[in-house]
Amino acid sequence: MQRRRLSKHLMIRYGYIVPSLAVLLLFFFSPAAYNIWLSFQKISLFQLKRGGTFVGVDNFVSLFGSPEFWLSLWNTVFWLTLVTVALRMVLGLVLALLVDARGLKRWRLSGLARSMLLIPWVTPPVVAVAAWQWLLHPRFGAVNQILSGLHLTEQGIPFLVQTSTVWPAIVLILVWREVPFVAISVLAGLQSVPEELYESARVEGANSVQTLLRITLPLLRPVLTVVTLLITIWTFNNFLYVWLSTRGGPGNFTQVLATLMYTESFVKYELGYGAAVGVTMTLIMLVFSAVYLRSVFRQNMEF
Amino acid sequence: MKLGRTLADASVAVVILIILLGFIFPFVWVVLTSIRPDADLFTDTLRIIPQHVTFAKYQSLFGSEFLTYILNSILVATTSTIVTVVVAIFAAYSFSRFRFRGKGPLLGLFAFSQLFPFVVLLTPLFIFFFKLHLVNTYLGLIIAYTAISLPFCVYMLLGYFQSVPVSLDEAAVIDGCSTWRVVLRVVLPVAWPGIVATAVYVFIQSWNEYLFALTLMTDDSKKTVPVGLANFFGQYTTDWGSVMSASVIATVPTLIFFLFMQRQLVAGLAAGAVKQ
Repeated sequence: MQRRRLSKHLMIRYGYIVPSLAVLLLFFFSPAAYNIWLSFQKISLFQLKRGGTFVGVDNFVSLFGSPEFWLSLWNTVFWLTLVTVALRMVLGLVLALLVDARGLKRWRLSGLARSMLLIPWVTPPVVAVAAWQWLLHPRFGAVNQILSGLHLTEQGIPFLVQTSTVWPAIVLILVWREVPFVAISVLAGLQSVPEELYESARVEGANSVQTLLRITLPLLRPVLTVVTLLITIWTFNNFLYVWLSTRGGPGNFTQVLATLMYTESFVKYELGYGAAVGVTMTLIMLVFSAVYLRSVFRQNMEF
Repeated sequence: MKLGRTLADASVAVVILIILLGFIFPFVWVVLTSIRPDADLFTDTLRIIPQHVTFAKYQSLFGSEFLTYILNSILVATTSTIVTVVVAIFAAYSFSRFRFRGKGPLLGLFAFSQLFPFVVLLTPLFIFFFKLHLVNTYLGLIIAYTAISLPFCVYMLLGYFQSVPVSLDEAAVIDGCSTWRVVLRVVLPVAWPGIVATAVYVFIQSWNEYLFALTLMTDDSKKTVPVGLANFFGQYTTDWGSVMSASVIATVPTLIFFLFMQRQLVAGLAAGAVKQ
């Protein structure tokens, strides 16, 4: 009797987890493992039924030997990730502090301001790119019309076509759409800062810059740490912004790892090579996460 | 002194609202463009407020294949949401209530898959689905979206379930409820706002997803809204009026859900405040 009851409880405990675990194993971890296997194969999209041939590390050798890979890696690390993450953290913090301003609270405008802040994040990423493609249109776009209306330019600037402006334009699109996530995370963090701390700072005569640097930012550190990690991982693997803004062009000037992977697998039909790009991306992200988390834990140990 | 304070506060508020107005201008511009006739669209001078208003672009969109894309998106996003949330509720409940062997590593597995770049699974998943004849099927895309959102959902729900006191469960068990009924009658009603928030997260994620839909749904009759929309402005002679109307339509569900969720969030905060 006792025993039957026990096994029934165990069945419930594990049984409830089985569906989730099955989904993860079947459609997450087994494709991940299969991806590693694929990266050692030469296999074309047209030969799927026949299967591929084992070529050892050939895909990786030619990948690391191609200038396009190193260009994509640089673009991904610097432009796509570093620049946009840094801009988002700074602008997100500024926007959160603005929306949290006492002036807005006093006139009961905080809710309106928060809703406005979230508008870019509510627009689907594809829509964000469409909106900016139209705004940045060389001839009929609002940005170029404003610039020429102010007599700052004589001809429309093809922002997303010429090499000198294409990366800043992609960065602008990405940061505009994604900065609200940082801002609302910071806003949530600000709510947890006890009001007494601000009051005692005021009593002791601290100005607002001192309050920000000595109280607000240190208390926000856990939030900022997690948000930085999350948006770094999401952005490093992002495909959509570059693909829909430029398809990696002009030429392969804005190629990033995710668009390189897609192009190899589904435009050039080299699935094995595309898998090798994917495996490389995974390894880079795993190393980054491990190093980042370790340094975070080590910093926390010091306290 | 007091008047000075008031004026300072008011001017700060006005400046911040102007900044935010600039911040949302791209979206406002999408809406304004979508209701302008073509003749007003392709001019060399900028007019913010439209002189003529037309809904012709919306009308023609609903008579085109875009309507199919909308229906496809609704079907895929709704089904993915229901499947993911139901599956995640069971796992999150078990993790939040029971102690069992292997719980730590299992939770670690879910956390790890959150950090794992799902995008790189595009190629292997495509081959899997090709072999299983799931390419160009709704089921294939639904499976992909469930796998993408599940780990985060389990974590989100775990947080909400942990905030439901176990004493509530225990009381129900003493009253003779089975585990299944405890979940249904006690935990779900209390954790309801959290479940809604989780469902909204999955829905928006699936509604917005582009890359997997692009790769797994190549048949025109199976395309979803983001893919159909992107095809519109990938063309050389882009009909920007239609692109902007389609953009507005694509934003409506996320906007509605977001407004809905914001109220849920406020309700959650208020409940927390009352408890304190």
